[in-house]
Amino acid sequence: MCTRREFLTTTVTAAGAALSPRWAHAAPKAMTVVRESSFIKPFDDYFAKTLAMEYEKLTGIKIVYEAVSVGGMLTRLTTVAETKSGPEIVGTNLNWPWLFDQSLVDVSDLATEIGRKIGPWHDNVLDAVVVNKKWKALPWGNIGQLEVYRTDWFKEAGVTKFPDTWEDLLAAGRLLKKKGHPFGFELGHGFGDNHGWLYPLLWSHGGREVDKDGRTVLIDSDETAKAVDFCRRFFKETMLEDVLGWTDVNNNKAYFGEQISCTNNASSILVVAKRDFPEIASVTDHSLNPQGPKGRFHIMQAASHAIMTHAPDHAAAKAFLRWLYDDKQLSRWLAAGEAYYAPFLAAYENHPMWNPEPRYLPYKESLKTTRLHGWPGPPSHAMSESVAKYVLVDMFAKACQGESTKNVIATAAAQLKQIYKAK
Amino acid sequence: MAVGPASVVGPARLAARTARRRGVLEREGVFSWLMLAPGVAFLLAFVAYPFFYGIFLSLQDRRVASPGVFVGLANFVTLAQDPIFWQVTRNTFVYTTVATLLKILGGLAMALVINQHFRGRNLARAFLLLPFIVPTVLSTVAWMWILDPTFSVINWTLLQTGLVTQTFSWLGNATLAMVSIIGVNTWRGVPFYGITLLAGLQTISPDLYEAAAIDGASVTQRFWYITLPVLKPVLIIVTMFSVIFTFSDFQLPYVLTHGGPANATHLFATWAFDIGMSAGQLGMGAAVALAMLPALSLLIVALTLYLRRE
Repeated sequence: MCTRREFLTTTVTAAGAALSPRWAHAAPKAMTVVRESSFIKPFDDYFAKTLAMEYEKLTGIKIVYEAVSVGGMLTRLTTVAETKSGPEIVGTNLNWPWLFDQSLVDVSDLATEIGRKIGPWHDNVLDAVVVNKKWKALPWGNIGQLEVYRTDWFKEAGVTKFPDTWEDLLAAGRLLKKKGHPFGFELGHGFGDNHGWLYPLLWSHGGREVDKDGRTVLIDSDETAKAVDFCRRFFKETMLEDVLGWTDVNNNKAYFGEQISCTNNASSILVVAKRDFPEIASVTDHSLNPQGPKGRFHIMQAASHAIMTHAPDHAAAKAFLRWLYDDKQLSRWLAAGEAYYAPFLAAYENHPMWNPEPRYLPYKESLKTTRLHGWPGPPSHAMSESVAKYVLVDMFAKACQGESTKNVIATAAAQLKQIYKAK
Repeated sequence: MAVGPASVVGPARLAARTARRRGVLEREGVFSWLMLAPGVAFLLAFVAYPFFYGIFLSLQDRRVASPGVFVGLANFVTLAQDPIFWQVTRNTFVYTTVATLLKILGGLAMALVINQHFRGRNLARAFLLLPFIVPTVLSTVAWMWILDPTFSVINWTLLQTGLVTQTFSWLGNATLAMVSIIGVNTWRGVPFYGITLLAGLQTISPDLYEAAAIDGASVTQRFWYITLPVLKPVLIIVTMFSVIFTFSDFQLPYVLTHGGPANATHLFATWAFDIGMSAGQLGMGAAVALAMLPALSLLIVALTLYLRRE
């Protein structure tokens, strides 16, 4: 039997060994990857059941997959970063690499390597993931927000081709509403389907929230006023009042309930339709956002992967991402996602993933005109605050509720000046 | 085997030591603190620490995953200049006041009814408790469907019965959205009042009612002069709790409207969450959450003083 001193020495040593960081050369037994669930079950399953297993077989490192419900990833990421514990590899989106800059590992070496092999990367995605000249996340693909519409009802109303401009879409919407098939574009406090068309609407009229310097607020302009006036008409003449209270689930429910003929959504709506509502799927199509007087735009939602600084073994995490972003794996996983993610890599422009369903092709085409929410302002904390406070969404929504254009722009300008600490 | 000093202590000395220990434990001061210790530790860890950490955060410009910078009361000054903050304050007061009044009336009526003797009373009591038992998120999702613009059973019923020709946009219209979330909160909160007030009702001696009846008091008079005065302390306590819960309500408005349309249903808790978690402004988010404190403190102090006076 050992003495108390011996017992204490042994216990403290064992506890110390258990709690101390692992030796640098010892590979971890497991790593956790947390991502937002994608709406596309085969895509999530392919990672958890095929890719993770293959990697474990290859290296002995178990990859644990944690799927966070849609809309909840930012909260999860915040807790991971604040507690400095939990998953080693995280999914990011929008401008999050900028928000969590200090908690993310520099992956510039990997990004360069991948870009050389299957790139180059699309230029516009650099805004989302390169922070102070360092890549803080590896872009995976854009979750596009495009127009989704009922081809049969459009034809009934005499609209054989999806309108190319906002004004033409308004004209088509009038006809469709008269026939009992209103439009349904989200104007409430959701997280994607509202921003998905309101920022492009503003930009396509020439309006901007803030200038490149991130300090000069530009929202109070004639261009914004034109966008607001258009939105009010678009709402009143083509939509239901309910859209003002919609969150992201509502337009899907209304579309599948055959209550609306057109909305702005990700391609998942067609994936779900094919699975659960085949009759609706057969008369559904997608189109790019209409263009306005100053061009055509789309919102950027760059799903990416990043490594947390608290990960005990950065090299092991990088090795996994290097393997994952190899064409052998990347190709298969992207194909499993049914084009829900449009990759930001040039080599994938003519990838077979685009062949099975030509209706998804506009999502590929939209990549060229995608911008982050606060564009052309920097993807800063202020940008996130503006999005979280729904400054732009509420500016349009209040106008649709009946407030004057001047008032709603003045309110938005005051909020943005406070948020951006304007000069 | 090593022989330690403890093994040579005689049985008499050991008994004395045990007795001395028991004596210490039996001292009221020591024993009461011992009993209180787990509760106090729990409160310190899960109430006091988050509360003071919240105050600490609110005095900082603290972005997510970044070190904070002390800014004093700057966050509160910024909030005071934000028109949305005042809209959120107004929303929270309207939501709390109307929902609390409705819950008091509904809960009192419910308690009076289920205090009567009738067949199936126990079953009725169990059913009336259901809204309170079901998890908020679950029942709120059910309400999402009930109030859904497209599939609303309320709209369908109103249309089918010919009471209306055009359906209501329960969550899309700013006023109706507030009415809707107040309605759902009331539905959920009434059983809490009902069951607590029922407990109060059952403490009232039937002799009091009999004496009042013999003196010729009407049913209304018996309610005003016997039931209500006896129930008052319970009513105040339950109202205090309910106001705190309603004032800081999060799940219900967040799931139903997420503060929309155009901030018409944003409350302190939902707005604080959006600023703290979605915008990553933890300091500012904490300041919004703390903005609830003065009103709630005043209410609690006023009600406690009133109870003491009674």
